[in-house]
Parts: sequence; structure tokens; C-alpha cells
Amino acid sequence: MRVFPAILCLLLTDALSTEASASYETEIKPILQKYCVDCHSGGDEAKGKVDLSTMTSSNFATRFEHWESAIERVKAHEMPPEDSPQPMEEERQRLFKWYHDQLDSVEAHPGFFAPRRLCASEYRKTLRSLFGFDLEVAIIEAEQTVVEKSLVMKLLPTDPPGASGFRNDTHGNPLTTTLWDQYSYLADAGLAELFSQKRRALLEEITGPIPQTGIQLEHAEKLVRSFVPRAFRRNVADEKIARIIKSVAQSDDFEVGVKSELKAVLMSAGFMFRGLLMKGEAGKQQSVDSYELAERLSYFIWGNMPDAELLEAASTRNLSNPDIYAAQIERLIDSPKSINLADDFASQWLTLDQVAKQSVQVPEAEALRSQPIDFMHYLFVEDRPLLELLDSKTAFANPFTAKFYGADSKQMIRYRKQKGIEREIVSNQKISLVQTKNRGGILTMPGILEMNRGPVIRGTWILERILGEELPEPPADVGQIPANPPEKNLTFRERFEMHRSKATCAICHDKIDPLGFSLQWYDGPNYKRNVDVDTTGQLPTGESFENFAGLKQILVTSQSEPVIRNIVERTLSYALCRKLEVFDRPTVDKIVDELVASNGTYRDLVHRVATSLPFQQTVKRN
Amino acid sequence: MNWNIDRRTFLRGTAGVALPLPFLNLMTASAKESATQKPPVRFMTLFKPNGVHPPSWNISGGSENDFRMSPLMRPFAKHKDDLLILDNMGNFGFSSHANSTRRFLSGHHRNTKSASVDQLIADKISGDTPHRSLELTTEGLFPNQIGCSYISYDQGGQPMPRESDPQLIFDRLFRSPLSHPRKRQEMASLLDRVRDDAKSLSRKAGHEDRATLDQYLTVVRETEKRLQDMQGRSSSTDFSKLKRPERPANLNEQAESMIDLIALAMWTDSSRCITYMLGNSNSRMIFDFLGIKEQHHYLSHFFRNFSRENLEALLKISRWHMEKFDYLLTRLKSFKDHNGTLLDHSVVLFGSGMGHSDNHTATRIPIILAGQGGGMLKTGRYIRYSQNQQLGQLHLALLQKFGVEPDSFAGSSSALAGLDSSDFTPWQERPFESWVKVEGDQITVQGRLRMSDNLDEAKLFFLDVEGKPAVRIEVNFKDFHNFNIAYHCGTPITISGTGNEQGDRLTITKVKELKSVFGAKPGSAAG
Repeated sequence: MRVFPAILCLLLTDALSTEASASYETEIKPILQKYCVDCHSGGDEAKGKVDLSTMTSSNFATRFEHWESAIERVKAHEMPPEDSPQPMEEERQRLFKWYHDQLDSVEAHPGFFAPRRLCASEYRKTLRSLFGFDLEVAIIEAEQTVVEKSLVMKLLPTDPPGASGFRNDTHGNPLTTTLWDQYSYLADAGLAELFSQKRRALLEEITGPIPQTGIQLEHAEKLVRSFVPRAFRRNVADEKIARIIKSVAQSDDFEVGVKSELKAVLMSAGFMFRGLLMKGEAGKQQSVDSYELAERLSYFIWGNMPDAELLEAASTRNLSNPDIYAAQIERLIDSPKSINLADDFASQWLTLDQVAKQSVQVPEAEALRSQPIDFMHYLFVEDRPLLELLDSKTAFANPFTAKFYGADSKQMIRYRKQKGIEREIVSNQKISLVQTKNRGGILTMPGILEMNRGPVIRGTWILERILGEELPEPPADVGQIPANPPEKNLTFRERFEMHRSKATCAICHDKIDPLGFSLQWYDGPNYKRNVDVDTTGQLPTGESFENFAGLKQILVTSQSEPVIRNIVERTLSYALCRKLEVFDRPTVDKIVDELVASNGTYRDLVHRVATSLPFQQTVKRN
Repeated sequence: MNWNIDRRTFLRGTAGVALPLPFLNLMTASAKESATQKPPVRFMTLFKPNGVHPPSWNISGGSENDFRMSPLMRPFAKHKDDLLILDNMGNFGFSSHANSTRRFLSGHHRNTKSASVDQLIADKISGDTPHRSLELTTEGLFPNQIGCSYISYDQGGQPMPRESDPQLIFDRLFRSPLSHPRKRQEMASLLDRVRDDAKSLSRKAGHEDRATLDQYLTVVRETEKRLQDMQGRSSSTDFSKLKRPERPANLNEQAESMIDLIALAMWTDSSRCITYMLGNSNSRMIFDFLGIKEQHHYLSHFFRNFSRENLEALLKISRWHMEKFDYLLTRLKSFKDHNGTLLDHSVVLFGSGMGHSDNHTATRIPIILAGQGGGMLKTGRYIRYSQNQQLGQLHLALLQKFGVEPDSFAGSSSALAGLDSSDFTPWQERPFESWVKVEGDQITVQGRLRMSDNLDEAKLFFLDVEGKPAVRIEVNFKDFHNFNIAYHCGTPITISGTGNEQGDRLTITKVKELKSVFGAKPGSAAG
């Protein structure tokens, strides 16, 4: 993220007294010198590329990530490694106290305001809402092949995930001439279709009946008055509208004239970028204006521009009334457009686009991929508790996935293939898991198991995506897992444990392996084993379990806090379209505490994110 | 004069060499060249998915210059003089969809590290045309069976991206942004507008807003500069009067629009090498516009899923493919090119990956070359080779014709003979006698069996008897099925049964016995 390190310095230097600086030099630096810097020094040469020799009290904020991971590791007795000298308990506590004092000195801050370009999927949905139709490729749909039907998604380059890990974080992904040409092409295509015979009824809804002779000035004016404010997602000054209409009036052909005016709107910075038109005084922490708030809300929940009702609420400033705002949130989640929370947000969070990527026929792949998406949609819309992500009595299945749900799949309405149809995509049905004991929750869905094969990949995925930990890359020289020694019949797990027993490996693998190996029963055909396999494990916290059911129980009870924290962080980061910073910690802590205390649901989560400080406020820099 | 003539009027008008009015400006451009230099030779391929039903595809008997087009060839029979029909192509038995498709232009399915033949030819012939090659298709990808979805592969053996949207292809060929003076003028005034807006915003903006607007204005400036650069380099031909294809309402319109564009691209010399797949191999397309509800692949297994209705539906689909081949040839002939038609200066390779679509054998693959390629091919002939030929030999021969001179291609080191007037070893049919015996209503005939030319009556068969009118076989489904009549098409049989005689026309209506003269027996997976 480009802007934040510098900002953080500004924020934090005031908070840190010279006293703090002195205590760092005398109390903290010596601990690092004694136990850490032997390995962790020398810039990029440092172990794990973490150079602790250059830490000072004043770069706490900019190097917060290193501090955070260092402290976590020391706390978990992962660092220093077992075979190195260990700090005394007093030293450890001194380090922790200093760290927490630093953290406590960080105050919640909404972050600095930065406009961002609509990402491809936002752009697609926004055009769709604006025009009233989706721009599609001119291809007859062929059965069971993968084809991008959206002209926008086909022509716009895929946005790389931003620093937040989400594609709507386009801060590092600037406008280019290539994008300019594609936007221009798409704007032309949309306007041409709007004025085509096919869309005449739609156009006349806005303009009133259009005579044979074509668009008259009155029709153009009605269209401008409807289209322009919606495109900018806010009220537009009368003078500006008048200027546009005057310009149309001067053209020889009103249709040509109004098209070129509307194209100028679609190609303007105010349309392409979110937040550019927000009013506000520079240099002051303030609430975002009501249109910006409406836009933040609709792009968070729908990935799309606000609809008429939300814009109306924004224009009357009703959104500052908490009850009205809350009702709008509920309305947005109730709308079918909230599928965005599942098929865009959750899909990126849980890497669902990696499910069944190449391995199976299209209908089977679609079955595996749609299952977790339908499940996530259900969690949001039906307001389920957060932890049902891992432990649920509801599943979605179709004939391709029915086999995983035994007798419970009998709840489904029977599917019959028509004659001559060999393969087709079939939608899911909701079933209750009454007799199926080992398939509830996201971790044991066949698509997720298929995407992550093998215990290490599964464990890593759970650690990163469910528990929110960031793992370093494994060292380059990991080598191969040894073959069975002669005369011995070791299991894969036993051989793997020999392989990764080195201290440098163990740091991460002590965390990864118990999670991954717990799922070893879910292996082989149909992700189900009939033979005994060692699924026992012990978490770094000391808690141990027999099998995956035991681990799941731990994750939804004693270890539920990190799960909920991760859900909150991902959601907030997606909603803000940016990476979370150290000054977001108080906001996250507050939401996590509330949701843990209340056994919160997904709707609670959306409400809390949408009413949080960084969502509602901002600081515009001079 | 009104130039905006509907595309259908001139592209769908009566077939022939008459030049559509809107192209007069293009014609003069191309006429300039013809005075001094030889016209370029173009290369096109048209791929038909899912093989064929051999009884309706294979030519029954016949020789190089004296042959009867098969029932499935009827739709393009009128182009007979421009065709070089090859038989006994392909030398693999059972083949998967993916492997047989890879071989279509790559010679061998293991030839995965080098380019397909079209790409090698494109390198040689594309010159300074704006589009080195175009890779076109009809449907989306099978991500789990990549080999079914592509025929063109690049130098590294990687599949070439394909496009199936005719509107996008039209825009890519003829509406490249800023190529046209009017488009440039529109963009210039748009840039003025949006720049002023952005500047007025910028005056009120905060730091981050300004950074964003600066980035935006940079792109606006760069686009202005690109506009200026374009001024001097605009094409001498004006494509602005070409009408963009309508959004297709069905697959037929989509395919015909695409073929229109192929011909236009060639004629305007926008590209000289185009491959077009009428569908993926293993295609499960539903031809609803032909009134068919079953998936194509299901129907293509005409023996496994045998029923009269299924076979009729399959033949309807196959005929549609053949009509598209006809449409392409007709289109190419409708454009004048130097002293002949566009087809005269083109080579079109039409065919499929496998022969028998039910048992997946990759022998007797449908392969037809059309157009003389400016004299490189001798057309109007049917060549059935003495033995099954490797596809790589055909590719090697084409490469040599186009002036690429590799020693071998896909493991084939000898080029296929006979494409021009060179010698080749033709298939020798074992001699047999043909005769008819009639005793009352008992009829016994020996002769070569073929299907009716009319695919609408696919249950009708004929036995060709030398010097006599062909004997008609019109039996009920039970006989058709029990004696597996279709299996014997193209080979001599002796058949006895009862029937009737009208004039000199004999018809057998009930079969008593059917014997293959040379003893070929239908296997369990025959057809």
C-alpha cells in the first residue's frame, strides 16, 4: 500500500514519547541483540527476511508486521528455536509489555481517503444497473463449455488482487491507455444497445414514447436527467445538467448528441473512480458524505452502485439516522444482489475460484464450486452465526454431490435427465444434515477437499484462510520426503514427520500439520476412507484431539476467537477495499469482542462493519 | 448515394461473382496490386466436430475422375470442380476426441512441442497483413479436455486463444479504435470534454484525489498523442461503410456471420490464414434451431444410441456442417480477386478429427481440400489412396506447397502425393460381378451398396448394378436393424428377398438373406 507507512509515522510519533524511545534502547534492544539478531540481521540475507537489527522505537508502525509476527512467535515459544539460548521469563514479559504499550498507544483512525477505480466486476455490475441490461458477447450459449458471457469481463483485464488480497482494492492498479480503449469500446457498446430497437421499450420507460422520426430534445433531456446522476452515484448540480442538455441541443442529430454526452460521462474520472466526487474538507477527520456512504454500502454488499431507493435515502440525508441506515443494510442483504457477498467476497476470501479448476467435466466442476458459494450466501441471507462456517447442519447438494450426504440426500427432489442429454449443469438444493455426521461446514465440502490435496496444503489453507495467519514461504532447500527405509513400513505421516523435524521447518509445520493430518480420513475416492489412519493431533496451544470432529469442536469453542477475528478482518478489508493497518486494530478488536460476546451472526457482522469508524469516516489529506 | 445497404443484401444476395456496391472502393485498392504482382494465396481450415456417420459420408466406389458425391456431400456438390476429395486419410484406430483433434492440424497427437500446420503457413504467408492469423470457433472451452477445444497451436505447442463472437471479430478487423477519421474526431472532442471536467475537479481536490486525477489526465494526454500518431498512418481503404454483424439469434446465424467475416478478412487482405472450428470435438451443443433436443455428442454415437430418430437428427446436424462448408465456398467465390475469385487463390482444408463417430476410429477421416491455391492443387478429383495415410503427410505436402520446406512434419517425412498432377497409388477395389435375378416376386441382387442421396430418406438404400438401374432397398426397421444394412455401404453384397418391379425399377421390400461378397461381418460396434 503506497500511502500508509508514511502516514503511520505521522500518527504514531506523537504518541510515542521520548521516554518510550529511551526505554526501547535500554530494555528492549538488548533482548533482541542477545537472542535474535544473530540470525535476523543483514537485510534480505536475514532469516525469513526479517531483520531485527534495524528495529527502533520510531519504526514500530512501519514495521508493525514484523513486530507482530515476532511477538506471536516468542509467545508461542517458537522463537528463538529450541536449540538456541532461550530468553528468561522476565525478559519475555518485558518484551510483551513493551509491545502492548506500543499497541495501546495506537488510536483508532479511519485511514486517509483515496479514490479507487471500479474493479472489473464492479464496473460490469454498475453498467448493468445503469443501462438496465448486461452487455453480453454475441455468442449462442453452447452446452457445458466454459465461456465468458459478459462482454465487460471478457474485455477488461482481470484485476490482480490488491494489498488487501481482494480485487476491489485497485489502488495499486492504475488507469492505462489499454483500459481507456476498452472502457471506450464498452461505453459505445452499451450506448449502441440502449438506443437499439431491442431496448426501445426500456429507453421509452425513461424518455416516454419516441416517435418514428427519432429522439427529440425532450427525450434526450429526460434521459440525461435520469442517467447522469445515477452514473455519478449522487445529485448533480443543475448547471451541469443544463450544460449537457445545451450541448445536446446544439447537435444536428439529438441521438448522436446525447450519446456522445453520455459517453463523456462514462469516460469521466467521476464515473470510473469511486469516491472522487465526495465532498469534504481537507485535513479533518469527518464523516463521509451521505452519497459516499451509500456507495460504500452498496459496493460492499452488492459490488454494485446504489439503487434508486438508496440514492434517495442518501439525498435526503436519512442515512445518518441509525434506524434508517440499519433498515437499508437489511434491505440490501435481502436483495438477490447480495449474492456478491458469496460469489465475490467469500469466493476470493476462500479461494473458491481454485475449486475444480481443471480436473473434471464442467457440470461436476460447477457442482463442486457452487456448493460453498450457495452455502456462504445462505449464511449471510439467513443470518446464521459466524461459526457455522465450520460447523453447520445445512448443506447444498445436487446429483453430482449427493453421494457425500448418504440418506440425507433423499430430501432432494429427484433429478431426471432428459433423453439425449449426457451432461448438464444442475442447481443445488438445500438439505439438512440429520444423519450425515462428518460433512457439515465448509472444511469438509468436497470442492474444498478437492482444491486442497494433501495434509500440508490443507493445513496451510486452514491456517491462512480460516485462522488468518500469514505464513512465510518455505525455505528453498526443503528436499524430498524420504522413501520407506528397508525393512520398515512407515506411514506417510511418520516419514513426513522425520522429514520436517528440523527446527526451521517445525516452526510452521507444528501449526500446519495437526490441522492438515486431521483431515486424512477425507482422502481417496469420494473423500472418505474406510481404513484407520492417524488423524490425531495437538495444537500449539496444547489442546489435543482424536480426529477432525475433535478439532472442529476446538475451533468453534475454545479457539473460536481467531476464527471470528479472521472473518472480521477479511470482511472489513473487503468493505474498505484496502489492507488493514495497525490503526484498524482497535476497530477490529471492538467488532470481534462484540461478536464473540453475542455469538454474532453474518448480518451482525455486516452491520458492525458498515457502522465502523473507517467505514463511516475518513480524512482527506491536503 | 446511400452506402448503408443492409449486410444481408449484399452478403446473402444471389451467389456469384457480382461485386457488392459498397466494396467498390476496396476493389480499386486491390486492383492496383493485381497489375504488378501475383495475388497472395490464403489458407483456411474448417473443422467439423465429432466425426461422421460413414455410410452417409463415404464415397461408394468411383475413381479419380469419375465418382459420385456421397449423400452428405450433396450440400456442396455444386463445387465439385473446386474440390479435391481425399480418402483413406488417417492411420489410427480407436482415438480419443482430444487426440484425434490434435492431429487435425498437428499431424500427430504427440506433436505437442511445435506449431500446427496453419501457424507455420501463417508465418510464411502473412507478410504485413494486419492480422497474422485468426483462430475462430463456435463454442466455449472444455477446461478438463483442452485438446478438444483447439486445433491451432503456437511454436511452443501451446493452444492459440480462440474467439467465437462475430461482433468482436468484426470490430477487431474493421473497427480498430482510432483507425477511422470520424472515430478519431469523436475521441478528440471527448478528450477535450473529460479533461476539462477532470481539471475543474482537480482544483477543489485533496491530495489523493489529485494523484488519481493526475494519473487520469496522463492517460488522456497519451490518448491524444496516440490520436496524432494515427493521423499519418490511416489505412487507404475505408471500412466505415461495412455493416457490423447483428447479434446472432441462433447458431446458424453466428456461424454464417463468422464465415462472412472470414471471406471479408481474406478479401480485404486483413488476414491470410484463418482456422475455424464449427464446434469442439466432444461437442454437446444442442441444435435447437434444427428442432433437435439431444446433445450432439450423444447423437454422434449413432450405434450406441441407435434409433431412427436419433440417426435422422445426427444427419440433420452433419448436413448443417456441410452446408456451412458450402456457404464458405460460395462466399469465397462471390468475391472477385484479380483474374478469378477469392477461392481460386485460396486453399481451404475441410475435415474432422475422426472418421467413424461411433467407434472413434481415425481412419477414412473426412478430408477435403477446396480451391486451387493459385494453381498449387489440381481439383475436381477424388483420391482414395491405396493405404491409410498419415495426416502428417498431408500437412507436409501443404507446407511444401506454401513454400515452407521442412524435412518432416509430426514424424512424417514423405509428402502426400497426388495433390497436384503427381502420381499416387490409388486404392484397388477387389473385382466382383454385379447382377440381378428376378423370379416372380423373389429378387436376388449382387452389387455395391450405398445410401440414398437424399438424407431425408436415410432409410433408403440402393445397390448399384453395372449397366442397370440401381435396385432400391426399402425395408422395415426390423430388417434394417437385423441385417445391419448400413454397415455394408460402399462394399459389394448379395441380397435376396421379395419386392416389386415398376417399369425397369426394382425394389426389395423384405430381406431374406444378406451376404457380403468378400465376407465382411458387422462387428459388435459396427454401424
